[in-house]
Amino acid sequence: MANLERAPRKSFNDLIYDLIFKNYVWQSIFRTGYPNTPRNQMLAVATNVFLHLHPTRIHRTHVKITHTYCLGGLSFFMFLGLTVTGVLLMFYYVPSIERAYQDIQELEANVRFGQLLRNMHRWMAHAMIILVLLHMMRVFYTGAYKPPREFNWVVGVVLFILTLLLSFTGYLLPWDQLAFWAITVGTTMVGSAPVLGDESKFLLLGGFSVGPNALIRFYTLHVIGLPLVISIFMAVHFWRVRRDGGLARPL
Amino acid sequence: MVSRAAAAIRTRPRREREAEVLVWPDLVFIEFISALIFSIALMVLSAMVNAPLLNRADPDTTPNPSKAPWYFLNLQELLLHMEPAWAGVIVPTIALVLLAAIPYWDRDTEGQGVWFGTKFAGRLTVFGFTAATLITSLLIIWDGSLHVVWTENVIRGLGLNSDFTWPGGLDWFRNLRGFDTGIPWDSLGFTIGGFTMFEDWRAIPLGIPGTTTDPWLLNLNFPSFLSQQIIPVATMVGLPVLFVLFCKGLGWIHSRRDIALLIFSAFIGVYLTTTIVGTAFRGQGQDLKPPWDIVVLEE
Ligand code: HEM
Repeated sequence: MANLERAPRKSFNDLIYDLIFKNYVWQSIFRTGYPNTPRNQMLAVATNVFLHLHPTRIHRTHVKITHTYCLGGLSFFMFLGLTVTGVLLMFYYVPSIERAYQDIQELEANVRFGQLLRNMHRWMAHAMIILVLLHMMRVFYTGAYKPPREFNWVVGVVLFILTLLLSFTGYLLPWDQLAFWAITVGTTMVGSAPVLGDESKFLLLGGFSVGPNALIRFYTLHVIGLPLVISIFMAVHFWRVRRDGGLARPL
Repeated sequence: MVSRAAAAIRTRPRREREAEVLVWPDLVFIEFISALIFSIALMVLSAMVNAPLLNRADPDTTPNPSKAPWYFLNLQELLLHMEPAWAGVIVPTIALVLLAAIPYWDRDTEGQGVWFGTKFAGRLTVFGFTAATLITSLLIIWDGSLHVVWTENVIRGLGLNSDFTWPGGLDWFRNLRGFDTGIPWDSLGFTIGGFTMFEDWRAIPLGIPGTTTDPWLLNLNFPSFLSQQIIPVATMVGLPVLFVLFCKGLGWIHSRRDIALLIFSAFIGVYLTTTIVGTAFRGQGQDLKPPWDIVVLEE
C-alpha cells in the first residue's frame, strides 16, 4: 500500500523520509505511516493507546485555546510529571522518622539534580491544585456541567478532593517543622468533627498525635493508595468526556 | 428557545463534519506546546526557588503561627470565626456537597458550552465575586477588631480626645466574641409569674444528666452558642440569600443558571479571600498583620 503513494522520482528528502518512516521496524511500532494525510492522521490517533484518549476529530470551537485554556489537560500533565519525579524521589527516601529528614537533606546536598528534583515535585504539586481549581472554574463558567455531563462534574469534584489529599499526605514526608506542624494543625481540624472526629483522626494518624505511624500511613497513601484511586477516577473522567459526546457546546 | 422539559432530554449534538478538525495535528499540537511551556516554566521556577526545608520536626517546639498547608488555610481562617466543628468539617463538607449538586439542580441545557452563556452572566460574576470579596474582608477586619484600633487611632490622631478608648457600651461590637463577653448576660434573666427564666444563660439545661457526656447537649452556653454558631451560620446562609434577592431586584436573574453563576462567583471570592488572608495576613497568635510584619517564632 505504501508503494502506491511513492513518488516517481525520489529527492534526497524523500529518501531520508522513507528510510525513517517506511522501514520494517518503524512500521511494526506505528502501524500507520507518518501522519501527513487525513487518513493517516486519524489512524495515528485511533491506533495509539495514549492518543486514543482523544476522538479522531473534534469540533472547531474546542481547539480554540480560549475555550478550555488546556486546563484539564495540564492538570493531567502535572499528575504525570508528579508521578515521574515522585518515583525518582522514592529512590532516595525512607519513611521513618529516623531517616526521613536526613534523606531529604542528603538528596539536596549529595544527589546530582536532587534539589531540582525535589523542587520540581513540590512546585508541580502546587501548580496542580491551582490548575484543577481553574479547570473547575472554566467548566463552570462555560456551563459544561449541564446534562448529560452532571456525573462527570461529580467525578471532577472527587478528583479535586483527591488532589488535595495527595498534596496533604505528601506535605508530611520531609519531616521538618513545616511538615510536622502543618499536619498537626490539619488533623486537629479533622478531629473536631461532631461525629467520629477523634476516631477519624486516630485512623489517619495511627495514634493520638503525629508520629512514626502517621508518617508511614501518609507515605503509603501518598505513593500508592491515593495515586491508584485518582488514576481510576481520571480514567472514568476522560472516558465520560468522550461518552458524553465530547466537550459541551451549544445545542 | 427550548422549553425546560425539552432541554432536559439528553441528546448528543448532531455531528457537523464541516465544523470539525482533526485531533492530529490541531489538538495534539496545542497540547504539546502547552505541556512544553509548562515544563520549561516549572524547570525555571525550580532552578530559581528551592522548596522549603526547615529544622527537623520537633514536637516540643511549636512554631507561632502554626499553619496548615496553604490550600487549607481558608478553613483555618474560618476556624478563627466559629466553632471548630463548623469550620473544619461541616462547612467544607456542605460546600463540597452543594458544589457537586449544582448540575442536578441547574439542568437547563440552554447556554451550555459557551463562556458566560446568559444575558447577565458577566454582571452576576463580577458582582458576586467583588461583593463577596469585600464583605468577607470587612467581616475579617471586624472580627479582628481592627475597626476598634482604627477608630481609636483616628480620634486620638485628630486630637479630639487624646486618651479615647472604645466605649464600654459598645463592647459587644468589638468582634464576634463581643456578643459573648460584651453583653451583660447575667442581668438578662426575667421572671414570668414568680418563675425566673434564663437565670443563667451560660448553663441552660438541655439534656438529662447521664444521657450524654457532650457538654453542648447537657447545658447550653447560650452566649457562646450565639457568637460561635448562630451568628456565623446565619451569616453564611443569609448573605447568599441576600445576594440572590438583591440581584433579582436588579432584574439580573432569570434562571437557576443565573443564581448558580452568582453564588459560585461569590464562593470563589470567599475562597480566595480567606485563603489569602490565612496565608499572608495572619501572624503570631493568628493576629491580623501585614505580610511584611509576619515572623515565625518557635516556642
Ligand atoms: C485531577 C483533576 C482533573 C483532571 C486531570 C481533569 C481533566 C479533564 C480534561 C483533560 C478534560 C477535557 C477538557 C479540558 O481540558 O477542559 C476535562 C473535562 C471536564 N472536567 Fe475535568 N479534570 C479534573 C478535575 C475536574 C474538576 C475538579 C471538575 C469539576 C468540579 C471537572 C469537571 C469536568 C467536566 C464537567 C468536564 C467536561 C467539560 C466539557 O464538556 O466542556 N474536572 N477534565
